[in-house]
Amino acid sequence: MINLLKIEWLKIKNYGAFKIMAIFFAVGVVLANYIVFSVNKNVIGESEAGMLLSSYSPYNFDNTWQTTSYASGYLLLLPAMLIIILVTNEYTFRTNRQNVIDGWSREQFITVKLAIALIVAIVSTIIVILTAMGFGFTSNTNFSTSGFSHVGFFFLKALTYNLFAVLISVLIKKTGFAIGVYFIYIGIENVLAQALDTFGKKITKTIDLGTIGDYLPMNAADGLLTFPDNPIKGLIKNVLPTSYFWAVLGFTIFYILLFFWWSRKKYMTSDL
Amino acid sequence: MAILTVQNISKNYGAINALKGITFEVPAGAVFGILGPNGSGKTTLLSIIMNVLKATNGSYKLFDEVATDALRKKIGTLLETPNFYHYLSAVQNLKISCAIKGIGEDDIENVLQTVDLLKRKDSPFSTYSLGMKQRLAIGAALLGSPEVLVFDEPTNGLDPVGISEIRNLIKSLSAKGKTIIMASHLLDEVEKVCTHVAILKQGNLLASGSVQDVFNQNDIVQVASDNNIKLKEILNTINNCNSINVVNEKIELSYNAGIANLAAINKHCFDNGIVLTHLQLKKSNFESKFLELTN
Repeated sequence: MINLLKIEWLKIKNYGAFKIMAIFFAVGVVLANYIVFSVNKNVIGESEAGMLLSSYSPYNFDNTWQTTSYASGYLLLLPAMLIIILVTNEYTFRTNRQNVIDGWSREQFITVKLAIALIVAIVSTIIVILTAMGFGFTSNTNFSTSGFSHVGFFFLKALTYNLFAVLISVLIKKTGFAIGVYFIYIGIENVLAQALDTFGKKITKTIDLGTIGDYLPMNAADGLLTFPDNPIKGLIKNVLPTSYFWAVLGFTIFYILLFFWWSRKKYMTSDL
Repeated sequence: MAILTVQNISKNYGAINALKGITFEVPAGAVFGILGPNGSGKTTLLSIIMNVLKATNGSYKLFDEVATDALRKKIGTLLETPNFYHYLSAVQNLKISCAIKGIGEDDIENVLQTVDLLKRKDSPFSTYSLGMKQRLAIGAALLGSPEVLVFDEPTNGLDPVGISEIRNLIKSLSAKGKTIIMASHLLDEVEKVCTHVAILKQGNLLASGSVQDVFNQNDIVQVASDNNIKLKEILNTINNCNSINVVNEKIELSYNAGIANLAAINKHCFDNGIVLTHLQLKKSNFESKFLELTN
């Protein structure tokens, strides 16, 4: 596997789009959190209610893991786009054929792409961890790992987005079209989930399991990440469906495995 | 030893049968031409052997063994188009090929020299002309000096000098004992370099074997006179001739290889009152034989 990754690195280390997207994402994570950080400090912090709660900040330790994970989650479309470009490039250049002609098995080709999706998710998570710590220390609070599980949810969301990007790429093959389908799918899923939330029936009446919309692939992953509970009720909506959190987590893991399995199967059995 | 054994391979795209039960063998040391018009299934066949396409039916062996990924590493292949990362240079691209094949990078300068790309080795692939791209693909196939080379339309996009260089390269590779499998729609190309041939048409294998056997090199004698109608009548009575055809104001007599006797033909005509204005012996050309096979 190390050897396969070394070859993959030869392909991407000199690729301009890779460097640009990586920088955009890293800078984007810091900037997005900075915006939330300053809005909170300058707008909410100086309101009357905020004054009463002067010790509260979403970037205090404990909260910072959750807030940073939540705010950074919106930027996960960038690494997903990078992955679509990296995979569909192989089809455009027909190098996916050449790699196999030169002696890779189809399994090696698709496995290393899935590994890249995993590595990008890990690196994205590390960027989030560093950012969360940076803002946590800036808030002059003591380091704490309480609430770190939210970083784990961020990782799962990143992995879902990245593996879905691999799947769309091997199904669609063309860069522009694949990016289009990816975004349109996410858009459609959001609208559908909203509609199901508004008009749909709750799954059960006895315990709150939400609606079917909460279990669609992207929405399930999105649902794992929420903004921390705020003592000022009503100012920030708590979107975490805590009562059915475990069900959503289970579905997210199921989708991750599904995307992984489907991408491999598609690549290994069809004409290249 | 057979380098490649193709057994009853078929490939369907929906209702279209791109290949219909193809079977043949490529002996070691051959320059094996896969010949056929555009759309006859040449590239499809080679793609199946390279595991890029999946056969609907049938199987194939490499080096008399069940084909594996490792065996493919022992074959240098140019399939259909030059496939490289556009944003990388020739050297960077070849490093990837070397890494996949599991061979050292020492050979890179050598092959770039062979295909005359040394001066442009650090330019991005996207800046190459069509001919340069094709030459880089041939260079990539030569990496590690494999015993078997597969070239799909190797002279595509090359200028006349480039074409001649590649033909000479193929001949010199063959002289070193390498086996070369080459797909082409250019008869001339196959005629000039191949020892063996398989002929495909619309997914059917029409013939395969040594060039001598398949093309059954007949002697063709071309004659003409001031009165071709009478000449043809006279020629109908001539011995040992297999067929008589009128081609462009001339009459062509076909004989088995080595038995045509020009003096006897000349005498036969003269004795029957016809003076020949044209008498020429030529080997049957590939083109007419190919057309005969494919029509």
